[in-house]
Amino acid sequence: MNKIKSFFSSLIKKDSTKTVVTSLWCALLGLILGFFILLVINPSNAAYGMSSVLGNYLIFSNPGDRLNYFGQTLAKTAPLIAMSLSILVSYKAGLFNLGASGQYSIAVLVICFLGVGANWPWYVVMIIAMIAAAIWSAITGLLKAFFNVNEVISGIMLNWIALYLVNGLLSNSSSVWDGAHSESIMITSEYNSFIPSIGLDKLFAGNSIVGLGMILILIVVIIIFILLKKTTVGYELKATGLNSDAARYAGISKVKSILIATAISGALAGLSASLSLQNGFTSWRLSSVPPEIGFQGISSAFLGGLHPIGVIFSSYFIMHITEGGSMITDLGFSPETASIMTSVIIYLSGFVFFIKEAMRKFEIKSELNKLSRNKENKV
Amino acid sequence: MSAVLFLLAFVSILTIVALGGMFSEKSGTVALSLEGCMTFGAFNAGMVMYVLPNSVPAGISALIVILVAIVSAGLYSLLLAVACVTFKANQTLVGTALNILATALAVVLIKQVTRTEALPLGNSRLSFMRFYEIFNVNFFGMQGVSFNWLIIIALVLVPIVYVVIYKTRFGLRLSSCGENPSSADSLGINVNKTRYIGIIISGALAGFGGLFLITMNSEWEFANGATGFGYLALAVLIFGQWKPLYILLGALIFSGFKTLSVFYSSINFLNNLGISSYFYLALPYVVCLIVLIFTSKKNVGPKALGEPYDKGKR
Repeated sequence: MNKIKSFFSSLIKKDSTKTVVTSLWCALLGLILGFFILLVINPSNAAYGMSSVLGNYLIFSNPGDRLNYFGQTLAKTAPLIAMSLSILVSYKAGLFNLGASGQYSIAVLVICFLGVGANWPWYVVMIIAMIAAAIWSAITGLLKAFFNVNEVISGIMLNWIALYLVNGLLSNSSSVWDGAHSESIMITSEYNSFIPSIGLDKLFAGNSIVGLGMILILIVVIIIFILLKKTTVGYELKATGLNSDAARYAGISKVKSILIATAISGALAGLSASLSLQNGFTSWRLSSVPPEIGFQGISSAFLGGLHPIGVIFSSYFIMHITEGGSMITDLGFSPETASIMTSVIIYLSGFVFFIKEAMRKFEIKSELNKLSRNKENKV
Repeated sequence: MSAVLFLLAFVSILTIVALGGMFSEKSGTVALSLEGCMTFGAFNAGMVMYVLPNSVPAGISALIVILVAIVSAGLYSLLLAVACVTFKANQTLVGTALNILATALAVVLIKQVTRTEALPLGNSRLSFMRFYEIFNVNFFGMQGVSFNWLIIIALVLVPIVYVVIYKTRFGLRLSSCGENPSSADSLGINVNKTRYIGIIISGALAGFGGLFLITMNSEWEFANGATGFGYLALAVLIFGQWKPLYILLGALIFSGFKTLSVFYSSINFLNNLGISSYFYLALPYVVCLIVLIFTSKKNVGPKALGEPYDKGKR
């Protein structure tokens, strides 16, 4: 009995447990606020709307539909995981990657020309897209390392430059552009550039967008986990992020760390584009604002406690309620309600540090109380 | 002539929002949420413009709309203040959250009010022709040249902001909280309270900028938020090196290229070059990036920018 008790008390004291608890708390509060908004908009349908958001594919009674939509949510989670890792890696190096949307856009450009236009094999397209996005992201790194330009601002500027570049180049080339719908031509399973399904589609009622991409992203998560935890490069990145002056005294090159971090996070943002476009569930639409996924990545990265493994769960959660949100239009709610919930969750994740600190203080206090009580007993 | 007025309007929007951001950054909080505050102010003002009956006289309704934009955005920025000043949250994170939240809220609620039998899902676009005509008047009686009189308010605010920042006790205290909060605190200045005030002023001015932006058109698509103007203002603030006159200059350069992207097709020489319109759209951002390269080397921003004030570290 005592053993179990001590196991639980050590579990509670662990930092990772605190992160999980606070993240769950943020998610819960975000959902409650979302429910409140649904109540304001349409009280009679709010409960059913909320259950659709939370249930997502579970609202279907037919098991085939359930599996199909479950597979869709899983497949759409993969690009979000990649995006969260992109935010996470740069954050560990002390940089905030607000330019992820731009890196994503540049990868989209490459994928459209090489994947749709030239129809190259999927892995070649994926790798070139990642390299292109990494180079685009390294511009931010170069500007930061050599000219001291704030990475948040240059990232935002590069988002807009990439947006207009991609809009202009894609909409003017008829081989990749579907003028009737004003979007880029979708990559379907007939293309060589389509990420193969390797039989996984059969597990999900024939949903062809479920496939190798999901396995690839899990491998990438493990690679990033090892990179940050076990390698010199990862150590140097984190050291620069924690205290760049101290890192410099220890002989770690700040320039190198910044360039590596921005390049890796750019490549991951590129991977995110590849996993969405080459899986055939999105295309590039003419838009006057940078793609939203770059910002969604921020929410799942922070909700996942800035941990590569945690990001898997937080990305799934966010995709789950986003997909669920797209199902409530019939009830008279707009799908952006899910976006309100996610932004509230990001907002609340800002408080994580404070809550963890409060938990720590509470622990110390109870620990001290225990000590003084023991003393009294002895006396 | 209309190009000049367009330029002038752009300059005043960027300047007023960037000056707003200055209040927040001078006191030590990153003003990333300018975009969200613009959107939120514009959204609330837009809603009022949408529901206000025509029977309300033009002057009074204009005043109501301006006040709604300013007050609502000021209140919205309180969310930033609570998270970043009181709870010491990451300022970039919270700023980003507020930017997404403002657009999402605006879209959801506008779709709710624009819902009709024929359009069951509603529309994230609001049109306000009457107010477009109230805010835009003929420029000194010239036909076809419309002039948004909010420019005058913005231009009057510039010298006022200058005086407040540099010549008043409040302005100097504000700067001290962003430069060296520990010594400000030791001199009896309430750092957190000053930062709250700075953030609220910044939100209020951004809200005014948001209203100004949408009244340059007779309708606005809220799914696009403030179309990145808040971010531009932040960039102008940084390459204006947190100084009002440089900010004005920066806004002028930026607006020049922005105006070019709208009017280039009417300049024969540029139109004959046959360059894609997207090039001109991207140009202001490219120029901004280049200017940043030359102005960022020396770190001249407030020294405690981005750091929550911790009394224990004094």
